Amino acid sequence: MLTTTPYLTTRRPSPTTAEFTLTTCPPLTLPLRAALFGVLCLRFIAVLSVMIGIYSAFFHPSGLLPPPIFPSGRITLLDFDLNNFLLHMLHLLYVSSPGQSLAHLAVPLPPYAVLALSGITAYIALFARIHTTESLLVLRGLGIQMSSNVGGGYFRLGGGTYMKRTRFIPTEKIQDILINEAFKGFEVRYYLVIVVEGEEDVVVCFPRLLPRRKIVEKVWRGARGCLYEKDGPVMSAGAGGGSTHNGNWRGGNEKG
Amino acid sequence: MPEDDGLMRVFWPTDLPRSDCKGVVVGWRNSALDVLVVAVLEEVEPRRVESALKLGNLLRNAPHPVSRIYEQCGKSSISVLGVSNTPDTVEVDSSWIRVMISPKQRVPSVTCARASSIQIILFERPLPGRMQYMSLNPIALALGDKHDGFRQDFADSGEEDDEKRERLNKETKRKLVEKLKQHSVVKRIPSPKERTLATIVNQINWAWELEKLLQQNVSRIGTRPKRALSVSERVVESATTARDMILVWLWDMITIYVLPVIKKLFVLGLMAHRVVAEMLLRILEWRLRPRYAALKDISATAQQVEIRLQQFCYWPMQYVTLRLRKNDWASVTTSHPDYIRFYNSLWLVANDVIIGMAFGSYIIDNADWVANEISRLLTTYTVEALQSSISWLMGWPAGLKLNTELAAFLGDLFLWVIEYWASCIETIRPMLPRIVLIIGFSSFAGASMPLALFSDLLSILTIHIYSFYLASARIFHWQLNILQSLFHLFRGKKHNVLRNRIDSCDYGLDQLLVGTILFTVLFFLLPTVVVFYLNFAIARMAIILFKACFDTALSCLNHFPLFALMLRVKDPKRLPGGIRFELRDTQDLSAICNDNNPLRQHPSTSVISLQPIPLDFKSMFYQYFQMGNRIRKHYLSPRVVLCLLTGKFVPPLNRKNLYSLQYSMLPAKRAGVMEMWDAVNSLPASKRKSMPVQVPILANGRNRFPSNYGGGRARSYG
Repeated sequence: MLTTTPYLTTRRPSPTTAEFTLTTCPPLTLPLRAALFGVLCLRFIAVLSVMIGIYSAFFHPSGLLPPPIFPSGRITLLDFDLNNFLLHMLHLLYVSSPGQSLAHLAVPLPPYAVLALSGITAYIALFARIHTTESLLVLRGLGIQMSSNVGGGYFRLGGGTYMKRTRFIPTEKIQDILINEAFKGFEVRYYLVIVVEGEEDVVVCFPRLLPRRKIVEKVWRGARGCLYEKDGPVMSAGAGGGSTHNGNWRGGNEKG
Repeated sequence: MPEDDGLMRVFWPTDLPRSDCKGVVVGWRNSALDVLVVAVLEEVEPRRVESALKLGNLLRNAPHPVSRIYEQCGKSSISVLGVSNTPDTVEVDSSWIRVMISPKQRVPSVTCARASSIQIILFERPLPGRMQYMSLNPIALALGDKHDGFRQDFADSGEEDDEKRERLNKETKRKLVEKLKQHSVVKRIPSPKERTLATIVNQINWAWELEKLLQQNVSRIGTRPKRALSVSERVVESATTARDMILVWLWDMITIYVLPVIKKLFVLGLMAHRVVAEMLLRILEWRLRPRYAALKDISATAQQVEIRLQQFCYWPMQYVTLRLRKNDWASVTTSHPDYIRFYNSLWLVANDVIIGMAFGSYIIDNADWVANEISRLLTTYTVEALQSSISWLMGWPAGLKLNTELAAFLGDLFLWVIEYWASCIETIRPMLPRIVLIIGFSSFAGASMPLALFSDLLSILTIHIYSFYLASARIFHWQLNILQSLFHLFRGKKHNVLRNRIDSCDYGLDQLLVGTILFTVLFFLLPTVVVFYLNFAIARMAIILFKACFDTALSCLNHFPLFALMLRVKDPKRLPGGIRFELRDTQDLSAICNDNNPLRQHPSTSVISLQPIPLDFKSMFYQYFQMGNRIRKHYLSPRVVLCLLTGKFVPPLNRKNLYSLQYSMLPAKRAGVMEMWDAVNSLPASKRKSMPVQVPILANGRNRFPSNYGGGRARSYG
């Protein structure tokens, strides 16, 4: 429900510039946003439970209910101190019934096991990726840039972009762009390859998603047209798009 | 029909001041339709700007040679690129661009008569004063590939198997890539536009300084030069001058008489130090024969001393290069990695000394306790633990029914040597507090020193374990070999050495009988030898692990990229790791264009922003990863496991392999004494050149206007 099969989106504001984005994230509709928000809440709860687990294992190893730090249960503005406040909040969480049940789970375990478990949980909660987005930006005269998203993608919910890891290859270094085939498991995968001059390995585009052949061919045609072709069908199509120039430059979504 | 493919490329700095005024766009024209904007000069006539650029008026008062700009930016002149905020009615050259900018609009809208499509590439100018810059390739924190050839020489003398295999792998891969080249159907020749990317990055680096210079000189076009000072101003100036005169005179006296003497003495001290260092280094590097190990290959302490001495030798050279940097434009980026390396090594040494002082004072204060602890550890782990384990092995360990006689023989042998060794340690024991004190005092030279000394101490004090391991491994290996050949005899075969294969062979009855009996006997004796061998092999591995820990700590203290990490946090633009582009949405731009001028034919435009990416942590620690890989390959390879299983000697990792880290910071060949003398003496000459710029008061006191100074100099380029 949260993801789809990877599909291709093309942005081509001018015939010499194109961005091919391949993503598993479906268009952001309201139900999807709600689901993503739910996932975010789950992450938050996981991090909180990790904190409670560590707190109970290392601060109250006996498992008994300790007295609260602020006896009155409320904090005045006068003696506000961030550390105390956080500790107090943690304590309140610990005392609450879900916190207590978690503490009962954590106390019999040895401390290193608690540490390891909470480390793994926190890592998954913070850095697990739901969607994979990879894109190829082709700029005539400059080169090709590949990018893929990293991190949890928290900004995506608000309509923002992912944090990206990018790699730029200047045109003069590009020796060839080609489609190759390889065996992966019991299937044949077609993948887009850039041969870079002076490098030992070829560079695979969309290495994580490895899309189907149809999409790969489309991207290959588009990239070659954008990088090299002086004039041709691509150019004329671009000029047509330019002449209308009423904001239809973003290109359409093409389901692959 | 527009020439080229009608694609116009405009590089536009986003941090240019934006205003509604009419202006002239000035910058580099890399080819007809490829421009990089440096500045927008406001309220001036395009023709006048053009002529001023031709005469060089706009580059007056340059603090450094102007020719350097052209040399670095790869073009022979700055040119007028177009006009900004000028109505369409004004006729301009067809290759000029028309730019519409306003304070509200982040992205300028650009048109050009000859372009059918436009790429606007926005970039933020790096500030050269803060040593920010952009580069296509990641900044090289390690010292170039210069030492690769040197390493090759090294490798040839005693190349190891894994290194050889690595090289062969590389070779095959290179051949594959070569083959891939033949598969390309069409070999495209890159157009000049594609080849200029490196130059453009350079021009971006220069943009800030150049714009400052141009804006400074805009007033020269059309307006009169500055008026002379009025009478009252002159009175004020001469009054302040009179007061300053005495101070200036005093300062002069100091700079002329005292400073040179101090400097001379310092340089002489430096040279004396260099000569002593040279002698010590010669001793450390001396080899009996070319193939033999030098002192620094054996001992961690010697290597540590060598690293420090090399650093001391390299610092003056680095300092001289960094000083020369001041005499050039700040936009020249070639010496920035040197800067980072220099301060990184200074900082590391300072850190090392600070940690060492804390560590050393602790050791000196508790010398007796430390000495006691060391001797206790020595007796428990290297003597008593060994003794108890050997006696355990002698009496049927874990229910294994070993050969009692052989076990007793071997055990007695080892126990006897251990007893002798224990008596040796007893004689050393009274000296231990003194040794610890020496180590403690040595740590004032840095915490790495006691670590290295401890590492050496460990290898000296466990030398008996090493020899036990060698002896038992040899026995085990022989026995295994004999068993193998006897097994062949048992099957009626033999190993043909000449052809390196197994041949069948007709043995006589007595031969077969004796061989089989021997095989049986040896086979039943094998487990006894194996347990002894395993015991010592495990002890040996534990010691190697300890030494690896020491070496890791040492390399962290010596080569940690502390300065680079700090820069990465403080100002990531100083550590460029490449560039990236981002396609911006262009809808808003098109809307604005349409509103402004619905009739004008607007070419299709894509807006791209160019951003530097900071160096990633992986390449910051590249050297460490490489060393880790090498260690892993050496100790965890199947070959080593095989060696362990068959009792062949596992060679310790050669210290040479650890040098890769060292040579990332230091040149493989240090500069000679005379070279350093020349370098150090070349410094004052370069300083004299820049002195008048630094002391404008002096020029003022002699009734000369400071502004004249630079102008006179720049005229020679105009």
